Amino acid sequence: MSLALLIVSVCSVLLALAVGVYCVAAFDHAVEARVSGARGGSALMAPLQQAALLWYAPENRTETSDIPAWRVAPVLYLMFAAMGLALVPWHSRFVPVDLSTGVVLWGAIEPLATVVIFLKGWAPNAPFPILGAYRYVSLGLSYILVSMFVLIGVALPAESLQFKAVVESQAELWNVIRQPLGLPLFLIVGLGVSFWGPLNFIDADDLNGGGAAEDSGRIRLLWAVGRAAMLVAFSAIGATAFLGGWQGPWLPGPVWLGLKTLALLLVLVVLGQYLPRPGPERFLTIAWVVLLPLSFLNLAWAGVEALL
Amino acid sequence: MSAVDITFYINAAIAIYAGWRVFVTDSMVRASFFLLISFLAVGVIMLLLAAIYLGVALFFMMAVEMMVMALFMVMFMMNPAGLNPMKMVHQEKVAIGVGLVAFLALSAAALFGQYPVRPVPEGLEPVVSLGHELLGDSMLVFESAGVTLLATMIAVVMLTSHRGRYGEANHGSRPPGLEPGGDPADKPSESEEEGGHHHHHH
Repeated sequence: MSLALLIVSVCSVLLALAVGVYCVAAFDHAVEARVSGARGGSALMAPLQQAALLWYAPENRTETSDIPAWRVAPVLYLMFAAMGLALVPWHSRFVPVDLSTGVVLWGAIEPLATVVIFLKGWAPNAPFPILGAYRYVSLGLSYILVSMFVLIGVALPAESLQFKAVVESQAELWNVIRQPLGLPLFLIVGLGVSFWGPLNFIDADDLNGGGAAEDSGRIRLLWAVGRAAMLVAFSAIGATAFLGGWQGPWLPGPVWLGLKTLALLLVLVVLGQYLPRPGPERFLTIAWVVLLPLSFLNLAWAGVEALL
Repeated sequence: MSAVDITFYINAAIAIYAGWRVFVTDSMVRASFFLLISFLAVGVIMLLLAAIYLGVALFFMMAVEMMVMALFMVMFMMNPAGLNPMKMVHQEKVAIGVGLVAFLALSAAALFGQYPVRPVPEGLEPVVSLGHELLGDSMLVFESAGVTLLATMIAVVMLTSHRGRYGEANHGSRPPGLEPGGDPADKPSESEEEGGHHHHHH
């Protein structure tokens, strides 16, 4: 890989991350204003204003906390989201990280995110954060399993674990139609891993803020950015794996990918506002009794479809 | 020195440093996650060695494994969140001896061993060839191990599940008393809850 290509790759991922995170915050503000009817300033300025508020807020300390872990966890979470975004092919000839096992690496990002979310809740040495951390670990396994089976289903028709091949396998028919269960399950996992909206069991109100109960200032800002970035990464991977990635008429490939990613992002934000919130125990039952069997069904369907 | 060499040396240093930190840190959770960092660095080295699938598989396997390990160690300790300082090593002298012998033996094998020179053929696809190996000649071994592991997991869940097929799994079991021969520590007298079942008398 030449140096110029490396720089272009890094810049495109960072740009996508920045634009995506800003869009998540703006969408969320706009949808919330629409649902509640509140007139709380402009949706375009709100993300920047909220960020500035957190940026200038003082930092919090707890007794005998693990301060390096507390600070490094949000950075790592953001980094994993960026790694996921780097796997997304913009065009058949431009993939920032064109790994032949890209689908598996994305599958590895979810468990690594679990570790980081646990570390973040464990580090402050305080009761509510550690409860949120334990809660995520017990929920995380169900997210990881569902996501894994859905992604294997996508890799089957492509006969490859490379995201580029997954996109190319959708030239005739997008996976969202070929495997109708895949995208909805993947989006639910996306809400779960970035603990967004109804699936925010970690930093939840029923735990007094849970994992983020002791956060203040820039750590809180970084954590919010990381969660939004994870949502962006899920949208981009979802657009690649289910909506044909860069493929589309008239417009160039990267534009199509951007449009599809933004569309999925909007769907995720709207789902975050409109879905009912189950209790965490009930959701664990739903995940194992409903979502996991549905992902098996999806995989069996994909297998039969690949054989025919 | 090429970029591959530099990446190798950086990751080798991370693996060794994090591996050493496992033994000098004072918390179970930190020890688990230092071990995870060490394994992740080894995974990157495996990627450099063109083991594209195995390297990435190491990432997610070790992430889940170390997470579960940290969780269980904290659960079974008298140290609620694992943040109280504690010593992470036992039987230091024996351990140092065993570690030195293992290090010297492995180093000797690496330095003085005779290894066959078999260059990888041009255009080899490591992931595809691994798939053919696992689901071709080695399929019987692979599938037997997989089914055995699955059966073990189901059996463990069945054995540890609170609700068994024939009633409560811990039926008739009795936790130890607060003083010798005394009442169980965590169980209210059953006559208050259900009435009828008298396993013990006051």
